Amino acid sequence: MAVKGKIAQYSEMLKNKDISCIELTQKYIDEIQKCDDKLNSYVTVTPDTAINTAKIVDEKISKGETLGLLEGIPMTLKDNISTKGIKTTCCSKILDGYTPIYDASVWEYLKNQNAVLLGKTNMDEFAMGSSCETSCFGGAKNPHNINYVSGGSSGGVASAVGGNIAVYGLGSDTGGSIRQPASFCGIVGLKPTYGAVSRYGLIAYASSLDQIGPITTTVEDAAIVYDAISFYDDKDSTSRGKSSANTIDTLKNDIKGLKIGIAKEYFDGIRDDVKTAIEKAIKVYESLGAKIVYFDLPVLKYALPVYYILACAEASSNLGRYDGIRYGFKSEDYHSIHEMVSKTRSAGFGEEVKRRIMLGTYVLSAGYYDAYYKKAQSLRGNIVKAFKEAFNICDVILAPTVPITAFENGHAVSDPIETYLTDICTVPVNIAGLPAVSIPCGFGNNGLPIGMQLIGDMFCESKILNAAWQYENTTGDDVFKSAEMGVKL
Amino acid sequence: MVTHEEVQKLAILAKLFVADEELDKLTKDMEEIISFADTINNASVEETNFDNINGLSNVFREDVVIPSFSREDILKNAPDNDEGCFLVKKRG
Repeated sequence: MAVKGKIAQYSEMLKNKDISCIELTQKYIDEIQKCDDKLNSYVTVTPDTAINTAKIVDEKISKGETLGLLEGIPMTLKDNISTKGIKTTCCSKILDGYTPIYDASVWEYLKNQNAVLLGKTNMDEFAMGSSCETSCFGGAKNPHNINYVSGGSSGGVASAVGGNIAVYGLGSDTGGSIRQPASFCGIVGLKPTYGAVSRYGLIAYASSLDQIGPITTTVEDAAIVYDAISFYDDKDSTSRGKSSANTIDTLKNDIKGLKIGIAKEYFDGIRDDVKTAIEKAIKVYESLGAKIVYFDLPVLKYALPVYYILACAEASSNLGRYDGIRYGFKSEDYHSIHEMVSKTRSAGFGEEVKRRIMLGTYVLSAGYYDAYYKKAQSLRGNIVKAFKEAFNICDVILAPTVPITAFENGHAVSDPIETYLTDICTVPVNIAGLPAVSIPCGFGNNGLPIGMQLIGDMFCESKILNAAWQYENTTGDDVFKSAEMGVKL
Repeated sequence: MVTHEEVQKLAILAKLFVADEELDKLTKDMEEIISFADTINNASVEETNFDNINGLSNVFREDVVIPSFSREDILKNAPDNDEGCFLVKKRG
C-alpha cells in the first residue's frame, strides 16, 4: 500500500473540522511528554508557542478563511536554526543561556504561515557528528529501536519525525546530516541545492557546504516543505532561491525513459544487506521504465578527506566567534584575555568540536595551507567537474545513503575515524553543491531501516523528488514501516 | 609524526587550552586524523581554481541606511556589559 503524506491529510482534516488545530497540537505535546524520555529528541519543548499558534489557526478556520498547506501543522526545528526569543543551543555548552534576537529566514517564513513549532530538536554539537551523541544533552535515539542511535547530526529531527512526535522538521546538511539520520530512522530527508534555501540564521558550521532542508515521513511532504522554504533571500549572499516551478507540480510524473546513473564507487565496502536493498530498488526502477546507466566516478575516493579538510578549515574560522564576550558561556578562571578566551572555549566546546577546530587550524596554518587546504579546494573542483560530466549521461544518480544501518549507542564516539568513513556516500553531494534525497528502501538484517539517495544536478530537486515519489508509490509499506509510537490519527 | 609541541602550538592558534593530561590523547587523535587527510597528497589531478559552488560573484548593494538591531538587543546575550559596551573585567 502506498504511504500517505501527512501534511496534506492533516491540512484537509483541519479544513473539514475533523479535528481542531488545538486538539491536533495537544496530541503532539502529550506524545512528546510520553515518548521523549526514551527518544531524547527534543532539547526545548515550546507548548505555549505551539498552542498560541494553534489558537490563531482555529480562529481562521472558524471564520472560514482559507488555510495554507503548512498552516497549523505541528513541526520542529533543529537547534542550530535561530528562533527569536527561544533559546538556540547547537547542543553545545558554549551557547549556554543564548537566546537569539532574530529569526532564521526559513523560520520567519514558516512562522508567518502559522506553522506550529513544538520545540527545538537535538543534534550533534555544532552539527559535528554522525550519531547525535556529541550533543551536550546526550544523543537522540532511534524510534525503531532505542538501543541504536538516530544518526547525525540532525538526529533529533529524524528521531521526532520517525517517532511521530512531529509531522515534519527542518534540519541542516553539511556532509549528510539530513540524509543520514533520515536513512537511519526510516524516513525521508532532502538536502537541497546549495543556495536553494536561505542559510540566514542557521548557526554556521562550514558555510560553503551547509544547507537547510526538510525531514519528513513521505516524499510528498518533503516536496511541500521544500517548495515553501526555497526562496531568494537578500540576507544570504549565496541565496539563489528556486530556479524552477514547484516540485509538487511534477511529483507524480511518469518516469519512463528516465536515465538513472549507478557509479560503482558508491558500492565499495557497503554492507551486504544494504547492497541487496539497493539492487532491489534498481529493479523497481527498471520495472517503472527507467534506463539504468553504469559509469565510474574515480575521484570520489578523495571525497572524504576533501570534505573533512574543507569542513574543518571553515569550522575553525566560523567557530572563532565563540569567545565568551558577546554571548553564551564564559569561563571566570582567567588572568589575561588570551586565557579567558582559551578557557571559555575549552570548557565550552566538546571533544569532537575541539578536534575539528584543531584540524582546521592545522590545514590553514603556514606551511600546511598548500598541501591540505589548497589541494583539497583543487580536488573539490575536480569532483564538481566529474558530477557535471555524469549528468551529461544520466538524469539522476542512485546510491546508498549510508553503507550500514544505525550504529549501536556509544559505538560512534569510541572511534572517530571509523565513524568519519561512514559518511562516504553523503559528502560528495555537499562538495559539489548538489541536491539529494534519502528515502527508505528496506530493512537490514537487524531489522533497522536502510536508505537510498537520489542525487540530481544543481536545482533539479523536481527530478529527484519525482523519481523518489514513483519508487515510494510502487513499494509502499514493503520498505516503509512507521515506528510504534507517537501520534497516530 | 605529530609532536606534543605542535599540538600545543596549534592550541594557541586555535585559542584552546589543552591541559597536560589531555595532551597524549589529543596528539594521538591529531596524528590519526592528519594521516587520514594525507590520503589526498598523492592525488594526481588537474589543477582547478575552485572558487565557489553556485557561480555567484560578489555584488555591492546600494549604501542605504536600514534599521538594524538596537544596542540593547545586541547586549542582551552578553555575559557582562556596562554602559552600553561589552565588558571584559581586568584581572591579574
